[in-house]
Amino acid sequence: MSGILGLMDIAKRALAANQLGVEVTGNNISNVNTPGYSRQRAIFETSPALPMPYGPLGYGVRVSGIERAFDPLVAARLDQNTSMLADYQARKADLDQVASLFNETRDGGLSQLLSEFWDAWSDLANNPTGSGERQTLLGQAQTLADAFSFRADQLVQARNDITMRIGPIIEEINTHAARIAQLNGEIQAIETPEHHANDLRDERQSELNQLSELIGIRYYTTGDGTINVTLANGASLVQSMDSYSLRYEITPGDTVAVIWQGPGGTEEDVTSGLNGGELSAHIAVRDTLIPQFQNDLDSLAQELIAGVNTLHSQGVGLEMLTTATSSYFVDSTAAPLQNNPSLAFGDRILAPGQFTVHVEDGSGGTAATVINITSTTSLADLAAALDAVPNLNAAIVTNGSENRLQITAASGYSFGVSADTSNVLMALGVNNFFTGDNAWSLGVNNALVSDPDLIAAGQIDTLSGAHPQGDNRTALALVELENQTVTGLGGLTFEDAYRQLVTDIGLEAEEAGNKQDFYQGLVDQFTELRDSVSGVSLDDELTNLIRFQRAYQAAAQMISVADEMLQALLGIKE
Amino acid sequence: MRVSMPTIFNNIQTQLQRLVEDLQHTNATIATGRKYQQISDNPLEVGALIGLDRDSTQITQYQRNLDTAYDWLAATETTLTNINQLVSSTAALAEQMATGTYTAQQRAAAAQQVQQYLEEFMQMGNTRYQGHYLLSGYKIDTEPFAEQAFAIQPPQMQAGSTNTASSSGAYTGTESVTYMVEIVAAGATGAATYRVSEDGGQTWSATNTTAVGPLAIGSDGVQVSFGAASNWSAGERFTISVYQPITYQGDNNTLDLAIGRGTTMQVSQVGSEVVGGAGGGNDLFQIMAQLKSNLEANNAGEVGKRLEELRDYQAHLTAVIAGQGAALNRVEIKQNAYDTIQEEVTQSIAKKGDTDLVEAANAMASKQLAYQAALQASTMVMNLSLLNYL
Repeated sequence: MSGILGLMDIAKRALAANQLGVEVTGNNISNVNTPGYSRQRAIFETSPALPMPYGPLGYGVRVSGIERAFDPLVAARLDQNTSMLADYQARKADLDQVASLFNETRDGGLSQLLSEFWDAWSDLANNPTGSGERQTLLGQAQTLADAFSFRADQLVQARNDITMRIGPIIEEINTHAARIAQLNGEIQAIETPEHHANDLRDERQSELNQLSELIGIRYYTTGDGTINVTLANGASLVQSMDSYSLRYEITPGDTVAVIWQGPGGTEEDVTSGLNGGELSAHIAVRDTLIPQFQNDLDSLAQELIAGVNTLHSQGVGLEMLTTATSSYFVDSTAAPLQNNPSLAFGDRILAPGQFTVHVEDGSGGTAATVINITSTTSLADLAAALDAVPNLNAAIVTNGSENRLQITAASGYSFGVSADTSNVLMALGVNNFFTGDNAWSLGVNNALVSDPDLIAAGQIDTLSGAHPQGDNRTALALVELENQTVTGLGGLTFEDAYRQLVTDIGLEAEEAGNKQDFYQGLVDQFTELRDSVSGVSLDDELTNLIRFQRAYQAAAQMISVADEMLQALLGIKE
Repeated sequence: MRVSMPTIFNNIQTQLQRLVEDLQHTNATIATGRKYQQISDNPLEVGALIGLDRDSTQITQYQRNLDTAYDWLAATETTLTNINQLVSSTAALAEQMATGTYTAQQRAAAAQQVQQYLEEFMQMGNTRYQGHYLLSGYKIDTEPFAEQAFAIQPPQMQAGSTNTASSSGAYTGTESVTYMVEIVAAGATGAATYRVSEDGGQTWSATNTTAVGPLAIGSDGVQVSFGAASNWSAGERFTISVYQPITYQGDNNTLDLAIGRGTTMQVSQVGSEVVGGAGGGNDLFQIMAQLKSNLEANNAGEVGKRLEELRDYQAHLTAVIAGQGAALNRVEIKQNAYDTIQEEVTQSIAKKGDTDLVEAANAMASKQLAYQAALQASTMVMNLSLLNYL
C-alpha cells in the first residue's frame, strides 16, 4: 500500500515507535535509583520494504524488541568480588569485636594489670610484714584474675554471638536460592527467543548478588535462559527450577558444620569447601581464629598459675597453716598422681621427688618430716604419709567424683611445707596463690583473701624449721618470674607471650581490614563498570526523550501533510 | 567510559565517606593524644608500645625498690657510724685507763662509764626502721641484741700463771660485779690462803684457806674452786666477773631487694657480724663486758689488751661502714641510670604512641581543606544537569 494512505501508515508506525521510545526512556528515568536496574532500550529497525516498480520502497520504522544493557561477564566478576568483600567485612567486624577486648592502647589493659601484679610482689618483697602491701597484692591479683576471666568469658560470648548469626544467614541463603529457582521458572515461561524478560532477569541478578554476599557461589547460564548456581566446591544450590537447601549443626568438637541437602535426601558436609561470603567468615572466626586466641590466653593463664603456685606452695606467710585443702582434685584416690588426667597440673609432677613438712607447736618447737613422691604415689598414699606425721592429720575430702586432700594440724599446732622438688604441692594446689586451671577459672585462693598473713613472702628453713617474718625470698623469686622465659609459652616471658597474642589479634584484624579495603576497591571498580554499561544517565535519557519527542512531532507533521494532500486531492472534484 | 547517574552519586558518597573517616581518625588522635585507637591500627607498633610500657612500669618499680634500699642502707649506715663514734670514745677512755697513773676508784668510775656505753651500744644496735629492726636479719620483729640473765664468768687467771681455778654458783645480786681473789700465803691448794675484794683491791675480806671447794665468795651466791694440782704463790691474783652478757637474737640472713632484672642488692647487715653478741673476734659486747670487768678489777694490763681489741673491732666496723657507703653510692648510680633509661623509654613511648600534635593539626587542616573542596565540587557536579537547560 503506497501513496498517501501509505504515508499515513508510515507516520502512524513512526508515532507508535517513538511513543514507545518515550515510554522506555520514561521507565529508565523512573528507575534511575533502582538497585540492580539495567537501562533498557527500544530496538528500532526499518519495516520490510514494499516492492515497487522502481525498486523496494522503505516502509517506515518498527520496534523489534526492548533490550537491556547488561554485561554478564562484568556482573559475574562483581558478584565474585562482592562475595570476598562480604567475607572480609564480616571477618573484620567479628575480629574488631574480639580485638576490642585486648585493646592495649587504652588504660586498664591486661599487660598493665600484669605489670601491676608483679609490682605488688615487689612492694611485698620490700616490706614482707606490711599488711598494706599484702592487701594491695590481693587486690591486684584479684583484678588480674578478673581481667583474665572477663576476656575468656567475652571470647566465649563472641563465639556464641557468631553462632546465633549463622542460622539466619543459612535461612537467607535458602530463601535466595529458592527465589532464583522460581525466577528461572518465570523467565523460562515468559521469554521467547526474541523477547527477554528484562525486569525478571534484573531481579534474578540482584538475587544472585545478594546470595554472593552470604556465600561464595559460581553460576552459569544455560541455553534456555535459566541460571544454575553451585557452591564453590561444586555442590548445586539451584538447578534450573529446583533449589537445594543448606542446614547447619554444631559438631561434637564444637565447630559449625554446614550440610548440603541434595536431591533424594543425600547430605554432604560442605564446610571446608566454603569460600567467600559472610558465612565462611563467621565460621572461620568462630572455629579457627577465636579458639586460637582462647588457647593462647588459656596457656598464658595456666603458666601464670603454675609459675606463681610453684613458688608460693613452697613458701610461708607470716603465720603457718592450720588447715589446707587442695584446690585441684583427682577422680580416683588410688591412681598415681603423676600425669593423672583428672588432675589439672598432674603432668607437671616430677618423680621421684620430695618435700618437707614442718609441724610447729605453739611455743616454737618444730619437727620436720620428708615426704617422698614417686611416679606411683596416689592421693591416698600421700594422705597416708602426711597423716603419719605426728600432730598432723590428712584426709581425703570427696565431693562426687572429686577427691581433694585436706591437711589439718592438731589443736595447738600449725604446719608449713618447704623444698618441694616434686611439684606435687603446686599440682594439687596446696598452699597455692592462684586457683583455677585456665583463663576463665583463674582466681585467688580464698584462704589468702580471708587471711592475707598467709601470703607466702618467705620460706621455711628446711633444716631448722625457722621462718622469720622478714624473709622475702619467695616474694623476690616471684618478682623475678616477670623476667623469666617460660617453656610452655614458646620460650617467651608472660608479658611477651601476651604481647604476641595481642599482636596476632591485631594483625588478623588489620589483615582483614586491608583485604576489605582491597575488595572494596575491586567492588567499586566493577560496580562502576557495571553502571557504565547498565546504569541510567539522566543526560542520556533526557536527550533521548527530546529525540523521541521531536521524531514524534515530525511524524505527526507527516500525518498533517498527508491529510492536506488528501484534502487537496478530494478538492479537485468540486 | 560512559558515566551513569549511579556512578556519579556513588563516587561522591564513597569519597566523602572516606574523607570523613580520615577526618574522624585524625580528630580522635588529637582528642585522645594517642596515635593508635585500636590494636589493628598498627599491631606491631602497638605490640612494641606494650613492651615499652612494661619496661617503663618495671623501671618505676625498680626505682621504688631502690628508694627502699637507700632508706635501709642509710639507716644502717647512720646506726653503724654512731656506734663507731662511741667506740672511739670508749677507746679513748680505755687508753687513759690502760696507763698506770689512775687509781682503783677512777677505774671503778670508768667501769660505770663503760657500762653506760654498753647499754648505749645495745640501744643503737636495736635501731628500727619503719618498725623493723635493722640488724636482726630476717627476724625483723625481734630485737637483735638483748641482755641475758647474770652469768658468772670463768676466772681470768694472772698472766703467766699455770694455776687453774673455776667458778660456779647462781648469782643473786642485781649489779654486775668483779671479784678479785688474791693469794695471801703461798702453797698448794688446801694449804695456801686467799682473800677476796669486790672493789678492785681497796677493801678485802677475811683470809681463808684454799680448797677444791666450791667455796662461796661474797654474799651473792658466787663460788670458786681452786685447781687441785695448783701451787699458788703469794700475791697471785685472778678475777671472777659477773655480768649480764648481751647476745644476738637475730639470724644470719640479709634482706635482699630486687633492683634490676635478675639483680638483687643486700640492704641489711647481720647484727652479730657488725656489732656482736655471738662471740668470736669482733664481738663488741664481749669486749666491752671484759673491759668493764678489767676496770672493776683495776687491771691496767688487761685494759690495754681490750684497747687493742677495740681498735681491731673499729677497723672491722669502718670497713663495713665503707661498704655501706659504697652500696649507697651504687644505689645512687643505679637511680641515675634508671632515670636516664626511663627518660629514653618515655621518649620512645611518646614517639611511637603519642600524637604529634603539629603533624596531626597539619593533617587535620589539610583534610579539612580537602573535605571542603570535595563538598564544593560535589555540589557543583550534582547541580549539573541537562534539565537546567531545557
